[in-house]
Amino acid sequence: MFYAPDTAPIDLPTFKSTISLPYTLTPGKAAGTFLAEMPNRRIVASRFADGSVIAPAQDFSPKDGEEPVELVQAPETGELTGFTRVDGVVLGLVKLDGCRNAFVHRILADMADVKVGQRVAAQWSASDEGTSILAIEGFVIAADAPVGEVKPLVGPAEPLGVINYGMALHYDHAYGPYYGRMFDELKENGVVMGVRGSNADEALLPPREIDDITHKRTGTWKACADTGTIRACSLINMEVYGQTRPVPYAYAEIVLDGASTKMIHIIEIDDLEVAKQQIKPGTRVRAVWTKGERKGAVSDIERFEVIEG
Amino acid sequence: MGREVGIVGVGQTHHARRRTDVSQAGLVREAVDRALADANLSMEDIDTIVIATGPVLFAAVNQPEKWVVDAIGAQGKSVVRLTSGGGAGFAGALAGYYQVAGGYSERTLVVAYDKLSEGQLQYSISTLYDPFWGREFAVGIMGFSAAYWRARMDVLGHTEEAAAMVAAKNRNNAIKNPYAHQKKQVTVEDVLNSKALCWPIKLLDVPPISDGAAAIVLASDKVAHHSTTRPAWIRGMAYCCEADNAPERSLMLSEPLAIASRQVYRAAGITNPRRQFDVVEVQEPYSCFELNYYESLGLCPPGQAAELIASGATQVDGDIPVNPSGGCMGANPIGAVGVIRLIEAATQVMGRNETHQIKDAKTALVQSGGGWANLRGCAVLSA
Repeated sequence: MFYAPDTAPIDLPTFKSTISLPYTLTPGKAAGTFLAEMPNRRIVASRFADGSVIAPAQDFSPKDGEEPVELVQAPETGELTGFTRVDGVVLGLVKLDGCRNAFVHRILADMADVKVGQRVAAQWSASDEGTSILAIEGFVIAADAPVGEVKPLVGPAEPLGVINYGMALHYDHAYGPYYGRMFDELKENGVVMGVRGSNADEALLPPREIDDITHKRTGTWKACADTGTIRACSLINMEVYGQTRPVPYAYAEIVLDGASTKMIHIIEIDDLEVAKQQIKPGTRVRAVWTKGERKGAVSDIERFEVIEG
Repeated sequence: MGREVGIVGVGQTHHARRRTDVSQAGLVREAVDRALADANLSMEDIDTIVIATGPVLFAAVNQPEKWVVDAIGAQGKSVVRLTSGGGAGFAGALAGYYQVAGGYSERTLVVAYDKLSEGQLQYSISTLYDPFWGREFAVGIMGFSAAYWRARMDVLGHTEEAAAMVAAKNRNNAIKNPYAHQKKQVTVEDVLNSKALCWPIKLLDVPPISDGAAAIVLASDKVAHHSTTRPAWIRGMAYCCEADNAPERSLMLSEPLAIASRQVYRAAGITNPRRQFDVVEVQEPYSCFELNYYESLGLCPPGQAAELIASGATQVDGDIPVNPSGGCMGANPIGAVGVIRLIEAATQVMGRNETHQIKDAKTALVQSGGGWANLRGCAVLSA
């Protein structure tokens, strides 16, 4: 139990999955003002009660959590406190003159010319005039740059309330031997296979090594029918982000004949009122297989349909 | 058994559909300031902190506790972050309870939040589904919840009318809640006639989507009196789970909640929940869940939830008021809701609930849950 023989390959094809989401993030007052001031080519910082200045501006002191006394304009010059190179780009920690902290930005120089302690100056982007920290193209080495001063922020812009943001996360999931065989059988033979529970003839779907209830090893493989009974269902009439088909349709948790656990799938519907009568717990359904070559995925079954009569 | 633990200070934000004036961390700060002020304490008095939120995908900030620590002045403190889906806030409170009961802390701050306006709620929840086996058909938690409500209709008689009565009760209770943002008088007919979203779930069976945070201060019996003369003592608290896709899982009664309530009632000396509780606060992400909890918590026998709501017993003026605060129907910042329910019940037994103080309330029941309906818990509070 819980191991594979040494002879088993460990580098197998994976199941690729992407989670992709749009966001509307709220930066808060200080960071929102910093971003709103980027098109005005001003670097906004926070001054706290103890006199320390933090850039970019923050709503709360990293020292004691207190809110800033005021927002101020930081100078565009400072000192490099550390650096590295990522994908050919030099990234440095820049401590602006008069500020207590260092923050990460691009260093527009060859790695060989960069040293800790060097004077640097902001270079504004010629192309990016938006409300992003990348309106600063990066920092150039400026050995003779005079030490800048923190100044009052005159006529600050309204803080940005919302930032549009997107995130796409790509995953390679390992099938493991149980899911691997189930999807192989689906692809090669068009059969949904589960494994018997530790002391039952009905198959667990999806198949697994250990019976959830008895915590004993599951039994032998078993082909389930492509017909089954609805255990639970709802009629989807709402559009949500990420949906793969038009509404309305039925979401159904179906127990295939020969199995004891559910498979989640959909049933096409034309009319909500008719579907309320036709699609219920206990309704018998059959799989409608996807035409063409099977991929070895649940989507090889296109949908389920009600068995009439 | 551990030491006695009381809730000695509470604070929640005025919840909103969208707060663009504060960041996630700023939202947390508001609730923490209110809870500390309520407990007559400052951050220096706090030994340990639990930060609870829903899934990271709700708002795209991983390890948000790093950000939150700066915002609440918790540098150098013992901080644990905890997530447990919709039950995150309750699970966070349980973790804090263990710390104080176990003698590892005299005062623990539990803060829970979600800023749901920032992300894609239902799609984020769909990622809870097995990526191989069902995620492509997922409709967040709503498709699933509606499907098992449909099944309970046939077996337990949880009709659309019964759930509509729950929705109307809670929505109307929320009108007086100063922290709620969904405040509109509705009738049972309004709920029944509202648009089907995931039938049987209809628009007015569904709580709003909210930005909000909530915090409580837990204290040992040794130091509780520094904050209040009347703490809400935690007499029992448990959070249980069940297997996700096991053959025995019926989803008729909530089995993990039934197990949790048995444990908690034994600890708290509850033998007749219907008679012994003065007030109940449950986390009802959809109206149908409240019916399910009546039965799983033993407020009525299985199959009699529809009768219980129809009898009026769970209304504010009934013998067992459920969600006088309006529950999730007034505001639903998911990760925070477990703590909000604890706050609403705690202030009842402290005699200072701001929405509908139940007269002479001494003993309160709180329910919360998360995951696929597979994580459920409850707590008993008394003065």
